[in-house]
Amino acid sequence: MDELRKSFHHDIEDVRTELVHLAAFVTESIPRATAVLLNGDLEGADEIIGGDDEIDARSLDLEDRCVQILALQAPVAGDLRQIVAALKMVAEVERSADLVCNICKAARRIYGHALDPTLRGIITRMGEQAQQLYIAAIESFVENDAAKAAAIDDMDNYLDALQKQFVQAIFESHAAGRIDLQVAVQLAVVARFYERIGDHAVNIGERVRFVVTGWLPEHRGAARFRSRTDDTGEIVRQVVEGSGS
Amino acid sequence: MTLLWLFAGGAVGAAVTAVMMQRVRRKVRTETDAAEHSASQVFAELSTRTDRLQAALDAMPYGVVVVDRDGRVLVRNQASDDAGADAHNEVLVQAAVQYNLRSAQRGEARSQTVELYGPPRRVIVVHARPLSSDGAMATIEDVTERSRLDAVRTDFVANISHELKTPIGALAVLAETLIDETDPAVISRLADKTVNEAHRVAKIIDDLLELSRIELSGDLIVSECDVASLVLEASSRNSYAARQNQVGVNAGDIAVGLKINADHAQIASALGNLVDNAVKYSEMGGKVTVTAYADQQGVTFVVADTGIGIPLRDLDRIFERFYRVDRARSRGTGGTGLGLSIVRHVASNHGGAVTVESREGEGSTFRLYIPDRLVPQT
Repeated sequence: MDELRKSFHHDIEDVRTELVHLAAFVTESIPRATAVLLNGDLEGADEIIGGDDEIDARSLDLEDRCVQILALQAPVAGDLRQIVAALKMVAEVERSADLVCNICKAARRIYGHALDPTLRGIITRMGEQAQQLYIAAIESFVENDAAKAAAIDDMDNYLDALQKQFVQAIFESHAAGRIDLQVAVQLAVVARFYERIGDHAVNIGERVRFVVTGWLPEHRGAARFRSRTDDTGEIVRQVVEGSGS
Repeated sequence: MTLLWLFAGGAVGAAVTAVMMQRVRRKVRTETDAAEHSASQVFAELSTRTDRLQAALDAMPYGVVVVDRDGRVLVRNQASDDAGADAHNEVLVQAAVQYNLRSAQRGEARSQTVELYGPPRRVIVVHARPLSSDGAMATIEDVTERSRLDAVRTDFVANISHELKTPIGALAVLAETLIDETDPAVISRLADKTVNEAHRVAKIIDDLLELSRIELSGDLIVSECDVASLVLEASSRNSYAARQNQVGVNAGDIAVGLKINADHAQIASALGNLVDNAVKYSEMGGKVTVTAYADQQGVTFVVADTGIGIPLRDLDRIFERFYRVDRARSRGTGGTGLGLSIVRHVASNHGGAVTVESREGEGSTFRLYIPDRLVPQT
């Protein structure tokens, strides 16, 4: 029995290690994609886009391993939360890797177009911030640190603000005739990609909080919804008596 | 009687036996003690040796990991644990180590270059090879500096030929065109351009000479310099260029009577170059601030601008000779590509350093730190 338990915990540890590795891969690819975008590095873009297949394959393998553990070991309590959270987190990491590829594809589409220093500066900042969010997400996961995981949400506010600032800078640059409409649209989409990567890091942080505390921010909304429904699940409508006209 | 003899004999025998036993016991004890002593000596020596080996391994600048046939780690040194600055970099380096070690365990040596984008950007080489006594070992080496120097060497030749050949090529073409030209208006325009190109070559040669003078002269002419007047001098010498670009150059508040022992001409040249750059790479209506502050070790001059900034990938290379962030723009700004190289040499001649912080679209801040440890010549 002890041996079985040992191997079971070893399996969970393996899942965690592989998840950290995948997330580290994505964290590293964020500044790479930023460099591809800023330097018009088509070769680098191909390399990152080609590398996504490996992430996809490893994510699928990891999912399979989680399902296997669920089916064969029937984990409970903290172990169950670990595996369920890992299943959710793989999807977040895999999607983030796709977004990094999307940045590279956008870099291909705007190849040869010069960007204002202001635009380049904000792109650099967005890339750095998205990477910081991911680093914090990995650290909170490795250390099972719910407090650090909760801080990721606040860090994300700055990334959101940068995105807004960037869109404003795109308008200004386009209005001044320094970039054409096609480039402006591509850049706006790129900003969205960075912002989404940040959101995925926030989601990972929330899953870490779930593993540690069993609580998710969504529980708050769910509780609000339940308070509005009756025993049958119907939404209780407040009847407002009108005075009539 | 016989009985007595027998008794006496027995007693003597017993006494002899007792003495012998005692001797044997003493001998055994001595030998055991000696054996224990030598065993503990050997053990102590072995552990000293192991400690010494581990200490030697830990002192090595690159990481070492030794595993047995089953992949269990037998030895690893300190550097192998801090191969990556960030947690995610560490994970990627360790993954590369594991991957290459697995191949070495199968008897196949393998190496891999891991490029980490950081920041700061780093290049790590992982080598793994099988060991004759079963198992395998991996080394982790940080080759960031080496690969940077490689890039510096290859780019230097390309850059210097570009900078020197362009104006000379232009001069040749202009002169050829002048030979057959008869229209005085065109001749005058071409002559103007020729003069401009000639000035450009002259400026490059001047800068090269200044750089080599600063590079070669180990002897500084050290005197007590007034920091405020150095700053004022630097901020006013570029006022013409600044007016043209409508860039405001301001000198910040400097503590009254702040002095530094340094080579006045070299510091003035370095500051001039920094301000020159700040003005050149500012957009219309930009602002440049020159200031200085002192701490216990020395004085730091700060030149900050609100200009176009420097791309991240060029940031650690701008102090190289002839390095250009944007070659297309360099002809427009009229620089020679040597300014920051001069600044770096001035800093190192004084035992100081020059650093830069920059963000594209927001501006750059250069800090020239000069330690106060030189003695003025009398």
